[in-house]
Amino acid sequence: MRMKYVLSEVLVGLWRNVTMTIAMIITMAVSLTMLGASGLMYRQVDDMKDLYYKNIQVSIFLTQEVSEQQRTDLDAKLKSDPLVKEVLYVNKDEAYKRFKEMYQDAPDLVNAVKPDQLPESFRIKLNNPEQYKDIYDQYKDTEGVDEIVDQSRLLDKIFDILTAIQNIALAAAIVMAIAALLLVANTIQVAAYSKRREVAVMKLVGASNWFIQAPFVLEAVVAGLIGALLGLVALILAKYLLFDGSLEALQGLLSPVSWGDILFVFPFMAVVGGLVSAVTAWVTLRFYLRV
Amino acid sequence: MTKTYPKASRPSLDNVSVSIEKGEFVFFIGPSGSGKSTIIKMLLHEVSPNKGRVVVNGKDVTSMRSWKRPHFRRSIGCVFQDFRLLPNRTAYENVAFALEVIGKTKAVARRVVPEVLELVGLGGKEHRYPHELSGGEQQRVAVARAFVNRPLILLADEPTGNLDPDTSIEIMRLLDRINRTGTTVVMVTHDSNIVNQMRRRVIEIESGRIVRDQARGVYG
Repeated sequence: MRMKYVLSEVLVGLWRNVTMTIAMIITMAVSLTMLGASGLMYRQVDDMKDLYYKNIQVSIFLTQEVSEQQRTDLDAKLKSDPLVKEVLYVNKDEAYKRFKEMYQDAPDLVNAVKPDQLPESFRIKLNNPEQYKDIYDQYKDTEGVDEIVDQSRLLDKIFDILTAIQNIALAAAIVMAIAALLLVANTIQVAAYSKRREVAVMKLVGASNWFIQAPFVLEAVVAGLIGALLGLVALILAKYLLFDGSLEALQGLLSPVSWGDILFVFPFMAVVGGLVSAVTAWVTLRFYLRV
Repeated sequence: MTKTYPKASRPSLDNVSVSIEKGEFVFFIGPSGSGKSTIIKMLLHEVSPNKGRVVVNGKDVTSMRSWKRPHFRRSIGCVFQDFRLLPNRTAYENVAFALEVIGKTKAVARRVVPEVLELVGLGGKEHRYPHELSGGEQQRVAVARAFVNRPLILLADEPTGNLDPDTSIEIMRLLDRINRTGTTVVMVTHDSNIVNQMRRRVIEIESGRIVRDQARGVYG
């Protein structure tokens, strides 16, 4: 019976002040969506780093007038270098073939370039892609080396952008969370005020503190959980419309967001939403009801 | 015991010492601001004395932790001048509410509530709302609510303050009947008529001090 009483009080409470409840749920939902999005992004960036760094190459381009001796020396040196995992030599013909493939949509460009003009290169994979700098310092002055290009440079820029977006989402989540928090506090105050007579009687006849507080706290928790559910819906829509829709062109660049990832962040959002609401409500009641 | 409220120039209660036996009927009288209500609040553990102890039913209330307060309150019934009934509940529901919020089942309420409403003389009016009842009847509901849990002590803070003399007498008869069941009744009042008619122990307080403590006393 007591459970039934508490639950019916929760529903009555949410309905009594329905505009405020909606405001509370919406801010909570937006905040949790942002939180979920930044959580997804975190996993995303990790996934992408794994994927890209595995395939990343450092290219050492050789000068046109490199001698046979210089090339063999460099080859031997690279092969014995502890930082290097794999060495692949690309000669002029091979380079031209790759060039043709890469620019097959632009035959004019391909025709304008002779195999002769393309530099030979060593494509190397590093044991640890972040040690690019060491390789660069070590080989930049070697005879016959023209230029050292590291693909991870470019990737770092992409990751910087993704991290920045992630931080923005997180900041937005925090700001919205503060708004949600204040709304919860306000809603609870209004609820406590509209039930002040009941609360006074309950305190007088010796109802336990948890019994007095439970309907209010649960009211906030229910709103928080509904907010988390709406956040889940928002994330699903975002995947559906953005990732699988308008951003599909970037699919090669961004690793896809799986349904599993979204389901993985949902419990996290729900726990944060529920817990933040519960604690806020409880603290508000301590000040407001002094129970 | 002594109680000084913050910002007050003089103590609300100054070195007051009172002992009330189980089953007694005691009036606290005195002008407004003399400290009568502070005594009630202390008995309810709503405020604590700065100095001294409050012992209720053998338990030191002063040192009681606040989380134990709800359980302690269940042994004390309270009636106030302004009734403090829930306007959107019937007489029956008002009394049942007090039982249900301390964990009693609806079945217990169904058995006990009609009984206590009968006792206070509201048989047949169980399903009236407070606004459909007279002041005296509302106070009877409040008394029923205070008494339904069979408390050891009934605190009444000017229970007749809003009632006409005849109705007041009826409420007093009711409190007297409750007292005869063995419940200690502590009542704060301004009403000289009632005190003079009842002839019970009278403790007069003035400016936070006891100036008179008289068995079978009058208002004076």
